[in-house]
Amino acid sequence: MSALLEMTGVRKRYGGVQALDGASLTAVRGEVHALLGPNGSGKSTLDKTLAGTVVPDSGEIRIDGAEARIGGPRDAHALGIAAVYQQLSVVGDLTVTQNVVLGLEPARRLGFLDHRAARVRAATALERFAAAFSGRLPLDRPAASLGPGEQQIVEVAKALAREPRVLVLDEATASLHKEQVEVLFEVVRELRAAGVLVVFTSHRLDEVFALCDRATVLRNGRTVATVDLSSTTEDALVQLMVAAPAQTPVETPDAPQGASRHVEAPVSGRTAESGAVALVVRGLTTDRLRDVSFTVRAGEVLGLGGLQGQGQSELLLALFGAARITAGDALLDGKALPLTSPARAARAGVALVPGDRARQGMFASRPIQENLSLASMRRRARLKLALSAAAERRAARSMVERLSIKIGSLNDPVATLSGGNQQKVVIGKWLLDQPRVVLLDDPAKGVDVAAKEEIYAIVRGLAAEGAVVILNSSDNRELTELSDRVLVLFEGAVAEELTAASITENRLVSSALRLAPGETL
Amino acid sequence: MSAPTVEAPRRALAWRPGPVALAGAVAVVLVIAGELVSPGFAGYGQLVNLMRVAAFLSVIAIGQTIVIIAGGGGVDLSVGKVATFAAIIGSRVMAGDDANIVPAVALALLVAAAIGLVNGLGVTLLRIPPFVMTLGMIGVVQGLILAYTGGQASGRAAPALTSLVNGRIVFDLPGLLFLWLLLGLLAVWLLRRTTFGWNLYAVGANRAAAELTGVRAGRTLILAYVLSATFAGLAGILLLGYTESVFLDLADQYMLPSVAAVVIGGTLLAGGIGGYAGTAVGAIVLTVLQGLLTTLDIGGAWRTIVNGVVLLVLLSLYGRQRRLRS
Repeated sequence: MSALLEMTGVRKRYGGVQALDGASLTAVRGEVHALLGPNGSGKSTLDKTLAGTVVPDSGEIRIDGAEARIGGPRDAHALGIAAVYQQLSVVGDLTVTQNVVLGLEPARRLGFLDHRAARVRAATALERFAAAFSGRLPLDRPAASLGPGEQQIVEVAKALAREPRVLVLDEATASLHKEQVEVLFEVVRELRAAGVLVVFTSHRLDEVFALCDRATVLRNGRTVATVDLSSTTEDALVQLMVAAPAQTPVETPDAPQGASRHVEAPVSGRTAESGAVALVVRGLTTDRLRDVSFTVRAGEVLGLGGLQGQGQSELLLALFGAARITAGDALLDGKALPLTSPARAARAGVALVPGDRARQGMFASRPIQENLSLASMRRRARLKLALSAAAERRAARSMVERLSIKIGSLNDPVATLSGGNQQKVVIGKWLLDQPRVVLLDDPAKGVDVAAKEEIYAIVRGLAAEGAVVILNSSDNRELTELSDRVLVLFEGAVAEELTAASITENRLVSSALRLAPGETL
Repeated sequence: MSAPTVEAPRRALAWRPGPVALAGAVAVVLVIAGELVSPGFAGYGQLVNLMRVAAFLSVIAIGQTIVIIAGGGGVDLSVGKVATFAAIIGSRVMAGDDANIVPAVALALLVAAAIGLVNGLGVTLLRIPPFVMTLGMIGVVQGLILAYTGGQASGRAAPALTSLVNGRIVFDLPGLLFLWLLLGLLAVWLLRRTTFGWNLYAVGANRAAAELTGVRAGRTLILAYVLSATFAGLAGILLLGYTESVFLDLADQYMLPSVAAVVIGGTLLAGGIGGYAGTAVGAIVLTVLQGLLTTLDIGGAWRTIVNGVVLLVLLSLYGRQRRLRS
């Protein structure tokens, strides 16, 4: 049987990050094909090149043997490709019907909308999912009034209304209830029988085994292997995802910059369990966190691992008072830590280096000086109001030197700096506030290699000075290098705690992946 | 794979005329054009007169600058009405007597600040868009004015206030210009040398990041509206000193020019960038332009059109400036 979809040598670069480095994917008609890989392996980017929301730098895509140029979502649509993402794109104010037919509204003569035809089309697409809506199709309800799972189903129906030949499901089950997942799987099997190719990405491995025929594994933006799932074990799959060279059956890509050399490297150079317990977190619960409890010692680096989006960022935000907490509390040095607002958390000695630097961490248009001063200037101001230009400059200069931030003038907008230096500014503003607890959300993401090492040194330095450091990272190697302990999170709960010698990339990946899905929220 | 190294901030080194310099140049060109068309336009007395007119607009625009820098669509359309109300209160309480100056000014500013507080609370707590909130406030203040005066303004400025504003102390310059200088310096200090000012720029540049840096964004915004109304109130008091007696729409016409002055001065309507020096120059540009159009004896309709065109030309010159914002 000839391939329906053939992607070869797909490359995509975002700034300093090579998201796809010659990835390939071959799949046939009437197949459910899983796309797997650890964080940052390029699964989502590959999905998006297929759907036309990302245009690759180079590479070839063939559909039915004919070369396809996908320059945007319209091209993908014309080729019969439809995609569903975890992030919802339903328009809340429109009805379910309007959402499903969005972009392919049936028109009558003179361009008037044919309401009846639209309803029929939406009903046809949604009918198969009737069970997921407890029997009644909410055709005329605004989409916003549906639950998150139901909205996700509407997304799938919207994709199906386009009668695709290729359907991409990228973490499309994440917000579904068990019953809804079953309904979706039933529909996917029908599609398979009808000859549709379904490309399926999920962090729940049991779903992959239950639904998919074959799997393609990506690592560091390259395709590692394509395996037949009926003759593969979970263990073998996990091995493929963590770069364990000896056991990789297919050609091993030449290991880039020792990424795989470190895999089994033992824990090194950490001062484990030095200080006394400083931070106690008890039963922290939010929309996306379930009953998270742990303690951290002064001078300890606690890593947060697991697949991305399992509640790590949410946990850091919650500890900084920036999430709505429904239960649980935290103690710092025996005193209750205020978790009601970032301003109060900051004054209690907590610092957060957020995951999205541009949107949450820095003031692109403002001078480096202000960016550095902002978190701590109240300490230097007279009457909490009057600033001394000289004192602020001295403080900023000291941080520029301490972190060796490469700048022209303190008065330049921070946007003129490179990514690594911008991140150092974001970290530096907190160091001036001498925090007791430092929360770092993927601090080395998207910065170049040299800056990465410098940021690691800063993290180690903070711990050496006795701060409590909690580090979320999408890079398992980073976790093995920096953490004294790692909490692996899965769907908002602590799934496993790894200590000392058990913190290896291998353990991190298998721990992140091999869990059965917990009861859905 | 080449590691991306540090890119030198080269752009910052290349000097381009900023909006303040551009607006200043426009003001000078307008003055020269005025002198050419009508000799005497740039005479000392005439210029002092223009500056005096510019001073009122400029003081009202202090608060406008603060609110616009705060971002989030920040704008205070009620400044004109608040200035009028403050002048009306001041006039009635003073009743032409120097002994009443302090309570009169205190009461007028207090009422103004209270109006600003309501604006601020509406914008932050009730999340009413600033445009809508302050537009609605115009109506409320108008009602308060009618209730307070019964449709007829009363009282008059105290002589001391009038001589402070109009009296010529140094270089034959009216006291008003020194008051403007003083308030201008206060505004620059507030924005550049206080925690409030730096928090304000931060909130305007990136509110989410400001909150995640421990800035109390809501409090900063509320204070911005309080300050806006207070400076408007002060401008009203100065106007009272200038005109000696008030009428019911004394400062109303400053509403849109105060926004225009801020924008001509290079402050971004999106917030986070700008300053008071630009606003002051912007107020001068607008005033000189008005003077020139009056001198040319151009009809009201054309005057408005030319005003609009100048504004558009200046803003398109600034267009390139904005690309730095990411």
